[in-house]
Amino acid sequence: MTLNPLPWSSYRLDGCTLTGALSVTTEVRDGVTILHGPAGCAQHNASLIHATLLDHDTPHLLRILSSDLDEPGVIFGGEGALAACIREASRGDPGVIFVLSTCVVQTIGDDVGGVCGRDWGIPVIPVPGAGFLGGGFQDGMRNALIALGEQARAGGFCSEGTNPDLGITLVGEKNLEADVDENYAEVSRLLALLGERPGLRFVRGMDWPSLGDLARGRLNILREPELRPVGEHLAERFGTPYLLSFPVGLSGSLRFLEEVAGILGTDPSDALEEERGRQEEALARFGDLRGGRIRLTPSPSGVPGPFAAELSASLGLLIADDGVPLPLPSPLPVGTAGLVRLLHRWRRALHA
Amino acid sequence: MKQIALYGKGGIGKSTTAANLSAALTEMGLSVLQIGCDPKRDSTRMLMHGSWIPTVLDQVREGREATITADQVVFRGFRGVRCVESGGPEPGVGCAGRGIIATFQLLERLASLTGDVIVYDVLGDVVCGGFAMPMREGYAREVYLVTSGELMSLYAANNICKAIARLAGRVRGRCRLAGVIGNAAGQAREEPLVRAFADRIHSRLITFIPRDPVVQRAEINRMTVIEYAPDSPQAAVYRGLAQSILENSDLVVPTPLSMDDLESLAMEFIPA
Repeated sequence: MTLNPLPWSSYRLDGCTLTGALSVTTEVRDGVTILHGPAGCAQHNASLIHATLLDHDTPHLLRILSSDLDEPGVIFGGEGALAACIREASRGDPGVIFVLSTCVVQTIGDDVGGVCGRDWGIPVIPVPGAGFLGGGFQDGMRNALIALGEQARAGGFCSEGTNPDLGITLVGEKNLEADVDENYAEVSRLLALLGERPGLRFVRGMDWPSLGDLARGRLNILREPELRPVGEHLAERFGTPYLLSFPVGLSGSLRFLEEVAGILGTDPSDALEEERGRQEEALARFGDLRGGRIRLTPSPSGVPGPFAAELSASLGLLIADDGVPLPLPSPLPVGTAGLVRLLHRWRRALHA
Repeated sequence: MKQIALYGKGGIGKSTTAANLSAALTEMGLSVLQIGCDPKRDSTRMLMHGSWIPTVLDQVREGREATITADQVVFRGFRGVRCVESGGPEPGVGCAGRGIIATFQLLERLASLTGDVIVYDVLGDVVCGGFAMPMREGYAREVYLVTSGELMSLYAANNICKAIARLAGRVRGRCRLAGVIGNAAGQAREEPLVRAFADRIHSRLITFIPRDPVVQRAEINRMTVIEYAPDSPQAAVYRGLAQSILENSDLVVPTPLSMDDLESLAMEFIPA
């Protein structure tokens, strides 16, 4: 459970496409990511991601290089600097090299795809983005996932994959989220109720050869609805059906079980019964909150919605303007376990 | 010190005009610096008797900007005119506009922007902020439009008026339009058309330079007209231009024309 006292700010959505793309590519642990542009872009983003991971007690070495574009590079073009950086990255014998473009190289018109397309002996993958010109964090994250998805194909760099026991792929976990591994554990628990387990984590702590597993999955579960374009892309390429989101809320968690079972063709009855029991037990543990007056602070992503209404009704909480202010985190907690973590925080606030 | 910039459509004769203007000014005993602001780097070639001088951005490309000295980028040509070429990237790569900015910063650092007159000869159109550099930051206060009577030449000149008007409106914007220099393309009723254009944008025609084969002969011989045929009528025109520019203090913020107005103007003078 996160100790972050400000759970609504435990995840980053800010930054440019570079930050979002890096949150994906740096989780390919045998890969190197090149930021093609001024060194400051790499410094800023590496520092931001490292600080976030450190804050979440999950630091790892970020394998990021900068092409270190300087004034002559801007004037005369930066393709030479990029090629030199790819050569330098290749010397470490990585499984894959990702190339992310900054605003300035898009502005001056470097042919990044052309440089990446040369025969480097290892895959060199350009990730669309172009810093702030290409959008924000979410755009960068989506672009990176789709760029990686493009590489998972028979006869490609990683045709076979590594995991013979495939089935369910988790797509687009929020690697800069404080609860990322707790959320993974909760999804794993729910899948276990159906006799299933997650296979590939696309992309978290992944190595390059395992990318081939992406092409052979039975089901993709997206972390959140904003990743629908990724789900569509993978469905189109590999015919893999997808769920739009990790489970959110009491009824949402039950619906998650039903939908997974529906796609996989299994009977969810036992799983639903067990999960209902777990939810009732959890709510009973917070019976001391019944009758409390609360005022929900809208999360940065929106106003309290069905999630808050369902939860407050289930606990017998009254939503009132003079109630104790309670935060709703963004993103909303995952599964029943996420709800329990949230209720612990609410209890501390209500009894303070 | 007088700092002037010559702008106009590519191929209209800016460099020929600039080089002859610089030659005429130096004949008058003035210290003149001509800066070619175009990756083609051919602005000063006639002043340098056909030599392609090393450019400022050549030094930057070689990574020598930290140790560069003025004598590596400033070269003396006809009668001591100091010549500089910014240079730029190969066509299709990099950012030539940024190159112009870097050139100015370097020349500033080298304290090379000195003399009685500085003539900036700038690439065809103000395609980006970099090529507007000579009008910005207090460099050239006086902008001259070089144009023929051809519609596309007038169109480019009109576009440059837009840039001048925009930059003049800035808090520190000091650049103004100083006038229009007509450079004949040889079409009928050309001088009246260019004069009318100058009037419509609330400026005036400074000089109309007629077509003369001596210009081409001088270039083949790698000289300005002033040097190649000093007693020719064409040389006298360039000297007159130099004198007019020295005496000119009529600086305005131009009023660019709409495309419709520009076409209507052209139709008044160009036979259908």
